[in-house]
Amino acid sequence: MWWYIGRRALQAIPVVLGATLLIYAMVFLQPGDPIKALFGEKPVNEAIRAAIEKQYNLDDPFLLQWLKFLGNALTGDFGLTYSQRPVSDVIGEAFPVTLKLSVMALIIESVLGIAAGFYAGLRKGKLFDSTMLIVSLVVIAIPIFVFGFLMQLIFGVKLGWAPITVGGDASIKNLLLPAIVLGLVSFAYILRLTRTSVTENLSADHVRTARAKGLSERSVNSRHVLRNSMIPVVTYLGADLGTLMAGAIVTEGIFNVPGIGNAAYRAILRGEGSTVVSIVTLMVLVYVVMSLVVDLLYAWLDPRIRYA
Amino acid sequence: MPESRSTPLAGQERFLAPIEETPLQETGSLDTSAPPESQWKEAWKDLRRNWLFWISAAMIALVAVVVIAPGLFTDLDPSYADLSKSLDPGSSGHIAGFDKQGYDVFARMVYGARASVLVGLLTTILIVVVGVMTGAVAGFYGGWVDSIISRIADIFFAIPLLLGALVVLSVINNLFPNRGEFGAIIAVVGALGLFGWPQVTRITRGQVLQVKNMEFIDAARAIGATKRSNLLRHVIPNSLAPVIVTATVSLGILIVAEATLSYLGIGLPPGVVSWGNDISAAQNQIRSGQRIGVMFWPAGALAFTALGFIILGDAVSDALNPKRRSE
Repeated sequence: MWWYIGRRALQAIPVVLGATLLIYAMVFLQPGDPIKALFGEKPVNEAIRAAIEKQYNLDDPFLLQWLKFLGNALTGDFGLTYSQRPVSDVIGEAFPVTLKLSVMALIIESVLGIAAGFYAGLRKGKLFDSTMLIVSLVVIAIPIFVFGFLMQLIFGVKLGWAPITVGGDASIKNLLLPAIVLGLVSFAYILRLTRTSVTENLSADHVRTARAKGLSERSVNSRHVLRNSMIPVVTYLGADLGTLMAGAIVTEGIFNVPGIGNAAYRAILRGEGSTVVSIVTLMVLVYVVMSLVVDLLYAWLDPRIRYA
Repeated sequence: MPESRSTPLAGQERFLAPIEETPLQETGSLDTSAPPESQWKEAWKDLRRNWLFWISAAMIALVAVVVIAPGLFTDLDPSYADLSKSLDPGSSGHIAGFDKQGYDVFARMVYGARASVLVGLLTTILIVVVGVMTGAVAGFYGGWVDSIISRIADIFFAIPLLLGALVVLSVINNLFPNRGEFGAIIAVVGALGLFGWPQVTRITRGQVLQVKNMEFIDAARAIGATKRSNLLRHVIPNSLAPVIVTATVSLGILIVAEATLSYLGIGLPPGVVSWGNDISAAQNQIRSGQRIGVMFWPAGALAFTALGFIILGDAVSDALNPKRRSE
């Protein structure tokens, strides 16, 4: 088991390195003079130019720049923003907010999605099942920002149940509406995944055996059908945390949540290379760690899987 | 003993048919007069009976007509604005009214179909071509080719689609600020495609790994097929079913993704008539509750189109899935 975790962690290293190199190259290998852009219409002061080049390692060859960035990042130093603020500060402030928002969305979507999908799967072809199927398709087909605006209009502006924008106070109560909006699309996917999985499991041999040996309907459904149906859902949920955090760009924009998505969006528009690379690296790390967690959860859900 | 055979045990008789009534009038042999139907024919038979398939086909056909001949649906010019009609709820000939700038909302919805559908279609073609080629080569040849392709795919897969596409598009904006309408569409296609192909690669690779060990592949090799022709003529065509399902659903999802990028102000430039741009422009009217209709029309058209492709993907997936077919 520990051997397996170690091997998986080693395999993740080239993925993380490759992803940072890719983004780093895209951001920093562009033609044009970023220092000249900083000065705008004023003449460039050569002493300041030299200082900036030294600070950002701009006079090194490209690959060395990347390695220096990685080395510094390992010690928690992600460089400075254009306004001379440490990038680690920006991330340290924004990351917890987005993590909170994404985990809230994950909890909402998984509880509702699994419950609705399980119920629909047990009553395949009935009214509830068909309704849920249509609802899930419509949710997937409508862009998230349209839902965002509608929810904001209905619950924020018209009914006044939720704050229209979150602003500085990212409490659980304020983040509730954005979390629902963020989790909507995944809710639809989880519902469909659970439903398909439950209908397949209902006709599986082990479920028939459980019925045949006289278990009550309730315990067959909860212990044999539901647990075995969770395997594909858990895979999805694991990959989804990273998707939610990245997808928060849109939701955070609509509700003005001071999170990582907002920070990334602003940094991309301003061309603030070090912030962009740092945030993307962080997202890749979240994805890699979550895939490992999912792999380990498999063994718990499906005892046939053993790690050698 | 013959007597006991002619009088089967109680409860078993319904399982036995006289030899003459069996299709070949013989036991233990196969009907080889006609080749078995291909999985595509079987799937088509299934599909024809599914009403969801016909609904989605009709939806997609309608969208296709709008894309090819928008002039059939409106005589108005989508790029003609009359500021004096700003937010006018509409009159005869203008069923959807006007937006903030005084554009006709319905005409823009009709003409906006082209950019959105084109982005979805071209991106899907791109990720399917790249994904099938890389996935098939990786799965079929294995070894170091597989390792290299799979690791590269892992790298692109680990970067979130929306974030990655935003970075790529911001770079393209810097390099080619004036790239025209078609150039803008190609840029969005490239950005979405760059982070979309690994999914198809993974699906194809997994499928090829299964198919290449099947008996008919051995049979083809035994009658002298080379590795290359085996891959192209037998392995790839038999690995395509799950790819087609993914591609159909992706088309719908990519249309939504394009709208999201345009909403973020970095997809198609404002000059291009597209649903994403119109929804984005309508957000202030939604916020202030002025005219919800301005957003309803482009958003509705977008959802309608995406829904068509997602339902089609669902129906095709049902038809191609042997597990569900038996029900």
